[in-house]
Amino acid sequence: HSDVKIAAGAVVCVESDIRGDVTIGARTVVHPKARIIAEAGPIVIGEGNLIEEQALIINSFPENILPDAEDIEPKTMSIGFNNVFEVGCVSQALKIGDNNVIESKAEVGRSVILSSGCIVGACCAVNTCEVIPENTVIYGSECLRRVQTERPQPQTLQLDFLMKILPNYHHLKKTVKASSTPARS
Amino acid sequence: MATLLQPEKVLYLVRGEKKIRVPLSQLYFCRYCSELRSLECVSHEVDSHFCPSCLENMPSAEAKLKKNRCANCFDCPCCMHTLSTRATNIPAPLPDDPTKTTMKKAYYLACGFCRWTSRDVGMADKSVASGGWQEPENPHTQRINKLIEYYQQLAQREKLERDRKKLARRRPFMPQAFSQHTIHVVEKYGLGTRLQRQRSGAPISALYGLSLKEGEDQKEITIEPAQALDEVEPLPEDYYTRPVNLPEVTTLRQRLLQPDFQPAGASQLHPRHKHLLMKRSLRCRKCEHNLSKPEFNPTSIKFKIQLVAVSYIPEVRIMSIPNLRHMKESQVLLTLTNPVENITHVSLYTCEEEDPDDINSTAKVLVPSKELVLAGKDAAAEYDELAEPQGFQDDPDVVTFRKSNKIGFFIKVIPQREEGDVTVAFKLRHDFRNLAAPIRNTEEVEATSEAIWLTHHVELSLGPLAT
Repeated sequence: HSDVKIAAGAVVCVESDIRGDVTIGARTVVHPKARIIAEAGPIVIGEGNLIEEQALIINSFPENILPDAEDIEPKTMSIGFNNVFEVGCVSQALKIGDNNVIESKAEVGRSVILSSGCIVGACCAVNTCEVIPENTVIYGSECLRRVQTERPQPQTLQLDFLMKILPNYHHLKKTVKASSTPARS
Repeated sequence: MATLLQPEKVLYLVRGEKKIRVPLSQLYFCRYCSELRSLECVSHEVDSHFCPSCLENMPSAEAKLKKNRCANCFDCPCCMHTLSTRATNIPAPLPDDPTKTTMKKAYYLACGFCRWTSRDVGMADKSVASGGWQEPENPHTQRINKLIEYYQQLAQREKLERDRKKLARRRPFMPQAFSQHTIHVVEKYGLGTRLQRQRSGAPISALYGLSLKEGEDQKEITIEPAQALDEVEPLPEDYYTRPVNLPEVTTLRQRLLQPDFQPAGASQLHPRHKHLLMKRSLRCRKCEHNLSKPEFNPTSIKFKIQLVAVSYIPEVRIMSIPNLRHMKESQVLLTLTNPVENITHVSLYTCEEEDPDDINSTAKVLVPSKELVLAGKDAAAEYDELAEPQGFQDDPDVVTFRKSNKIGFFIKVIPQREEGDVTVAFKLRHDFRNLAAPIRNTEEVEATSEAIWLTHHVELSLGPLAT
């Protein structure tokens, strides 16, 4: 009954909480206790992403609109590839590009658009309505910013390791080809 | 409720050169003078230098040579965090055979907090893990060194003149008796530490620390005076119209941490070696005894000598405050803790009218008139479940509870002002047995030391009036 489409090659643990219309690309690892909730629209997650424990990716209704109102179009949240969502982060951004890192306990609001190579530092809350330019690092208690010269490296080593080890200790959700019928969770 | 336990609520008065009101946890107690001392009435001396990240000890002479910076550790120029060395594998051609490539390790510096890397400023990766990183050279070093030499010579000449003026009967190199203001002077050639008396009348010469080596030839060093230029480089034409690239502009803090260069652009921010921290020992100015002497090892947090006030003076803490109303009497519950191992007798007195110490109190206070007895601190008492009840007769109106070395008691507070915070003050008088004094009579069976009665002025801040 759920609309979770998990591509072949993705490792999604059973203990993760995925609700709504979610598509997960290949080589993505979703740790146990991660939550991906598509309330106000579908979520499309690309390839090679790393979503750690207690991370929350939520496509929720904006605060001042009731869920029952008729005239809201469901907006798709799209997440690119090679992103890292560290432990305990909260991401509501509608559009996330590639090679971004959202560090532990960071919060990204709904009106933010992360381009590529951005790093939102630990405990930083970004709630502005803007497109964060490429290769920006947001750090510190006052969310200072600087631009780095190269994008953060994709976590290929970590992804390979996890894809080998996680199945030894957790049951995985069933994968399905994206074009066929939805999978049972 | 935890806010009542904050140490800033209870202040003790220190009667030193200045009258300072500080919580007891920040005070020291000189048991030879039997007085409280704060950080302002002790002299601070440097014990040893160490690097905060690699915890390497450094002798003072070496520290002075390296300008108080560590040789191995670097600070991020962007966020001042400690930099860590990371390695990557890069293909590099073999020296024998240029066509084949082998993986070699290349090291670069990276900051874990703001993700700054040494590649951001164009520093090439090094092939050795440590020791390969150089700080950029200051272009004015030569001129500065020459100026320093000239002024050192000037200082030497001034010192000779001053010594000549001194009376001949006192040899200038004899260590003078300990007195009010003594400062530590480490001579360059390791003549040992010399304690020089800083004369209270004369101002400190700015060149005091620079002294020439003994017996050096008195070369006449001349310097050219700095030349004032008439023409200044003009600003670039688009200075006012060019849009500012904000990420490239350095903050003032980043700029001023590198006073040699003060780069305006973030791409010229080079990392600097990490600043050393020091361990200091404190010495009472009156009796010149050490009050606090840390251990030499940088990894150890213990002290060789630790005469802190909390381990000698009974501590007053606020336990609960009722609603305070203007001109109405309320009872505030306080606790008194006894830090020493023998029984302590404490009496409290209200401050008299026109007490010069009593400037902050905004309420009248009535303290218990009887003497309070505190049991000694027994380290094993917490493990002893069948503790025998202590045979103290407590007045239940005054003493609410008693638990090993702590008692709770009431004071009555009558706020005098309609607005503002309520502050009360009283005097705390307790007996102190000085265990530092030597036992004069070895024939005595009991090693009783005399009890001195000490009086302290305590101020409590009880917060605002209840609305």
